[in-house]
Amino acid sequence: MPSNKVQIIKESLRNKILPSEDVVYKELHTKEKYIEILYIKTVSDGMVIKDNLIIPFFEIANPDQFLDYLQSLPTIKMFEKEDGALDELIRGDAILFYQDHIFLLDSKVDRNNSVLDTTVETTIQGPQSGFSESLPTNIGLIRQRYPQNTLEVESTTVGTISKTKVMIIHDRKVADIQTLHKIKQFLSSIDIEMFQTGEQLLDIIKKSNRALIPVMLVTERPDRVVVNIAAGKIILLVSGSPFAVVLPTVMKDFMSSMEDIYQTYWVAKFLLVLRYIGFMTSLVLPGLYVAVTSYNPELFRVQLALNIAGSRTSVPYPSFIEVLLMLFMMEMLTEASIRLPKAIGPTATTVGGLILGQAATEAGLVSNIMIIITSSVAISNFVVPINAFSFTLRIMKYFVLVLGTIFGLVGVVFGFLLLVAYMVKLDSFGQPFLTLIQSKPSKKL
Amino acid sequence: MNRYFLYLVLLNMLINVIIFVPKILIEYRYDGAVMGVLIAIPIGIALNYLFSTTLTKFPQQGLPEIISLLKHHWFGVVHLVGIQLVWFTAGLITLISFIDILTRFINPEMPKLLLLTIFLAALFLIIQMPTDRVMYLLEIILFLNTPLIAFIIFKAFSNEYLSWDSMLEVGTHIWAWPSLKAIAAATYCFSGYTNLIIFNRVIKGKLKLWNFFIITVLGVFNLFTTFFIPIGFHGSDGAQELLYPWITTADSLRLVYSPIERVIFLFLMFYMSISLMSISIHWHVALELLKGTFRGKVNMKKNWIVLSFFGVFSVIGVIYLNALLLNKITVYWLIGRLGFELLVVCIFFFWARRRAA
Repeated sequence: MPSNKVQIIKESLRNKILPSEDVVYKELHTKEKYIEILYIKTVSDGMVIKDNLIIPFFEIANPDQFLDYLQSLPTIKMFEKEDGALDELIRGDAILFYQDHIFLLDSKVDRNNSVLDTTVETTIQGPQSGFSESLPTNIGLIRQRYPQNTLEVESTTVGTISKTKVMIIHDRKVADIQTLHKIKQFLSSIDIEMFQTGEQLLDIIKKSNRALIPVMLVTERPDRVVVNIAAGKIILLVSGSPFAVVLPTVMKDFMSSMEDIYQTYWVAKFLLVLRYIGFMTSLVLPGLYVAVTSYNPELFRVQLALNIAGSRTSVPYPSFIEVLLMLFMMEMLTEASIRLPKAIGPTATTVGGLILGQAATEAGLVSNIMIIITSSVAISNFVVPINAFSFTLRIMKYFVLVLGTIFGLVGVVFGFLLLVAYMVKLDSFGQPFLTLIQSKPSKKL
Repeated sequence: MNRYFLYLVLLNMLINVIIFVPKILIEYRYDGAVMGVLIAIPIGIALNYLFSTTLTKFPQQGLPEIISLLKHHWFGVVHLVGIQLVWFTAGLITLISFIDILTRFINPEMPKLLLLTIFLAALFLIIQMPTDRVMYLLEIILFLNTPLIAFIIFKAFSNEYLSWDSMLEVGTHIWAWPSLKAIAAATYCFSGYTNLIIFNRVIKGKLKLWNFFIITVLGVFNLFTTFFIPIGFHGSDGAQELLYPWITTADSLRLVYSPIERVIFLFLMFYMSISLMSISIHWHVALELLKGTFRGKVNMKKNWIVLSFFGVFSVIGVIYLNALLLNKITVYWLIGRLGFELLVVCIFFFWARRRAA
């Protein structure tokens, strides 16, 4: 590169990067040679610059030898475009002006690279550590668990302002090419300013940006990610987020916990059935209560029907208000216990759950049976192992409740069927979201 | 994917309870229903076999795709319009009759039109889905419901009040001259295969012989259950009095240890999904055929016009047709359907043979 052009680039780069406190522009001199370094000290690793640049600079006396050294350094890239260089500079690269060359030294500081414990998807047995918040560390974790030469890692950026780095990871041998293509297309079509974490994709996937049911799985467990790669799924890792996105995702994935493969066969099957029962209970029970008490009390055998009616004698309003009231209290309690500091959490649940429930029945505001229903709905809601889906379930039960209130028993059955039909209609990157027998992803290359 | 074929046939076998088949059979129990059923079985199986083996010559194609091979477009249009009318009315009869059942047995105070709205909402959602998705939904619903319906049938068979003598008594009228109405009603149990004209799209591979074997066994068992269990419960004379013999039969059953003691509620809850599915399968076929008659791409506007026609007809039907009238219409509809089915299968069979030759 001619030296006057280097001068121009240098000037323009220095002009574009505004005079901030943390921008460092340094000239190093020895007798034979001199070098100019431009970097931002808050995002660059000073140690890397010192070890790879400053110490060798003073140790290698010969200018040509130092140039050879720079060119053979694996973390160094040649300067290509001014925009690209500026981007890299902001991300933590150091720009070197040496003789008539411009180099980019990768000196990005890697903060938050400690591996976190799993907190969202906990298991009793099996690996206990999750991802970290650093992208290279996360890829390292995956490579360690999946030592296959067919593992492919590609990168792209999402977000007009945040320019977040997103890694697309898949196994070339098993992943479906068409799905991969669709995912890449989807990523490039995203129009968003700040992209912070994979969970944001859950909404963006819908054209209206208003999704009810998640069609991608967000997980914090490297073991789950690796199992999914082996099953032909495609993984997205987002820089700065300890969560990976698994695509395409179907209902079965949301209902499975990593524990299933760490347990014996029948235990795992039992747990799976339990989850589906929990899902149904949480979905249908509030609506069913309204339908049975207000429309068809003759559904149950006489003793039970009388029992329910008896416990409702002191309740001064129709059953759907009772249910709404209690569900509302329960949602409040759930929300509060998420936000509360860990130290106060148990107190809130005790006061809310035990005392309030007890008092509400004694005051005759809700029936005893309603308390049982509310708590079983709340508990079985969280049997669903994936958080995003369990939150969806929290909303879906109101749909069934509303239909049950308007149409009675018919409404409950139809509410359930409508939700099932809606889920069958959904698809996640070409794969149907809900089918009875989930076919394996196609193996063609 | 031969199981999809079985699902379609099984669905019709289950739904015959709603569409007055037991009522018609029981009405003619002394006048040729037994023989009619016996004749219907080979007819049903033969039609099944002929039609589905012919269709396997067009792998993964529905009728609209096949018709598009024809030179004369108008012929195809006439063909499609005729068939889709039959399918639409099949769904409509099920819909009206099931809404009548719901108001009679579950929600006597609720206006029928209100019930219709929720049905239509669900139907419009389902019938617009792609064909394979409708099939997946059918699979899930059958998976959830069939074991429980089988359990109810088991409870019926093992009930101590089931009078085998009454059934035998009806069985002695086997030599009565077969009645056409009974034959038409009984063949309805087998006619699920006709949905293949659209659902052939999702069927991969050839249908094997054991499919037809299973259909035969299921069909015989199903017709026997449909026809004789109500007679066994209510007596050979008493069964005639009932408008919906099977639902009343379900009401005669009692689960002694279950929190839900009366089987009728379980029965109707299962049948809500089964009948919803049956209607949506029929209407999905009708809708897809209609789309086939339009040339070119079907836009949202056309789609909604068709759907609103579906809606308007069902509103009119629900308002003007009471159960008795519907019963009378259904008898003739079933006969017409049998004739039409024979016609379609034969034309299709010979056309496909000529084309192959």
